[in-house]
Amino acid sequence: MSIERSMKQFELDRKESVRLAARLLLASGTTSPRVGGVGECTIHIVEDECEIEELAQKVEGMAEENTAWKTFRRDAAMLRDADAVLVITSLRCLTDPADINCNMCGRLTCEYYRQVERLPAGPGVAYTGPLCVFRANNMAYAIDAVIQQARTMGIDYGVFWSAGAAAMRMKIVPRDTGFCVAVAISVTEKSPFRDIPVKYDEMNERTMNDRIIKRLWPQFRSIYS
Amino acid sequence: MAIIEMKDMVQAGLDRAVEMMALAAHNSYRFGNRNTVKCISVGKEEMEQIAEFAYSLGDMSPLAARDGRFLRDLIKEPCALLIFGDKRKSDLNFNCGACGYRTCAELNRAEEMESLTARGPSCQFKNISLNIATNAAASMAWRLGLHCRVFSTLAMAAFALQIIPDVDVVASVCVSAAKVDPFFDRHKFWTQEHWDETFSKEFPTFTRGFIGAVE
Repeated sequence: MSIERSMKQFELDRKESVRLAARLLLASGTTSPRVGGVGECTIHIVEDECEIEELAQKVEGMAEENTAWKTFRRDAAMLRDADAVLVITSLRCLTDPADINCNMCGRLTCEYYRQVERLPAGPGVAYTGPLCVFRANNMAYAIDAVIQQARTMGIDYGVFWSAGAAAMRMKIVPRDTGFCVAVAISVTEKSPFRDIPVKYDEMNERTMNDRIIKRLWPQFRSIYS
Repeated sequence: MAIIEMKDMVQAGLDRAVEMMALAAHNSYRFGNRNTVKCISVGKEEMEQIAEFAYSLGDMSPLAARDGRFLRDLIKEPCALLIFGDKRKSDLNFNCGACGYRTCAELNRAEEMESLTARGPSCQFKNISLNIATNAAASMAWRLGLHCRVFSTLAMAAFALQIIPDVDVVASVCVSAAKVDPFFDRHKFWTQEHWDETFSKEFPTFTRGFIGAVE
């Protein structure tokens, strides 16, 4: 029997709610405070299933580059379950230090900071630091504003710096982006970002489905029909 | 039935709100599932010290001077200042490169730089977690209807005065139960003449027409 009309309607409305929610989260993140009132962050919504898959594949690919990034494979599995991803960027932290000589980057003055050689972009490097920490801290306010709004609206969220770094490599964020973190959201009955078993990249809903239903059932059917 | 004056209720409410803010900050999101952010609430005496110190930095930082002078006024009405801090070294092992070192181990081995405002170099994600906690506190204050603003100047003054011990990077949230919002549109700190003079000095081209044009 085919799926009921009302169930199809529910699925359509659920997807629509994700689109609306992503935009409201973007609003909250955009209006969050910035140090000195200087614009710094942009937020980009990735909601197309194919684009989310591309992002997940990039994250997966990066897992091999650095021994500390093994968890990226798990992140990719979680991202595939996300309904939308909000990519939050910091546009000033790489090229435009705050000129307040705060020493958080460890270079005493912003003049010294400007003379420091950056890490070369390449495998195993997510961000080409050092970044202006004072500027990049603005992103914390944007991330938290998105999180707070998601909590208020009852939307499940997960924060992934891996997806942020992947988005920078895919060049889907502005050119000046120095630091980038992604917040994935989901409107489903069970949050795909909580209760993550070990080896989740190998054993998750998708792979279980693939192995058990998509492989065993057709075989069973051919034998017993 | 006992009558409680509004003034006392506001003060009691503010005290409770500060606790709620600390709670929100304590339970806020952070990277790497670590809860190392420290938070203190400072009293009027410390706020006075912070205000004097920030004001004394006028030559170096006009922004700090403005906030110092502002804080001196602010403490005349019910207010509170929460200061957040964290250590600079990374215990996250992300090896992300944002600090300028390839690995967290290299960052942790790097030479420490002392200054009045912070000790560096510091882990970018520790900083983000610290500021997320700060924003969570500010967000709670906002929901509770308090006047609120995040200050890095006052936090750095508290750091320099060693009011918050054993931390390397800091942030602060100031809240107030004043009769009108004291944190924004602070025009009372300068006269119109002073404003005009400073504006024309900082933006000399604003009133200049096209060179060669006849006015």
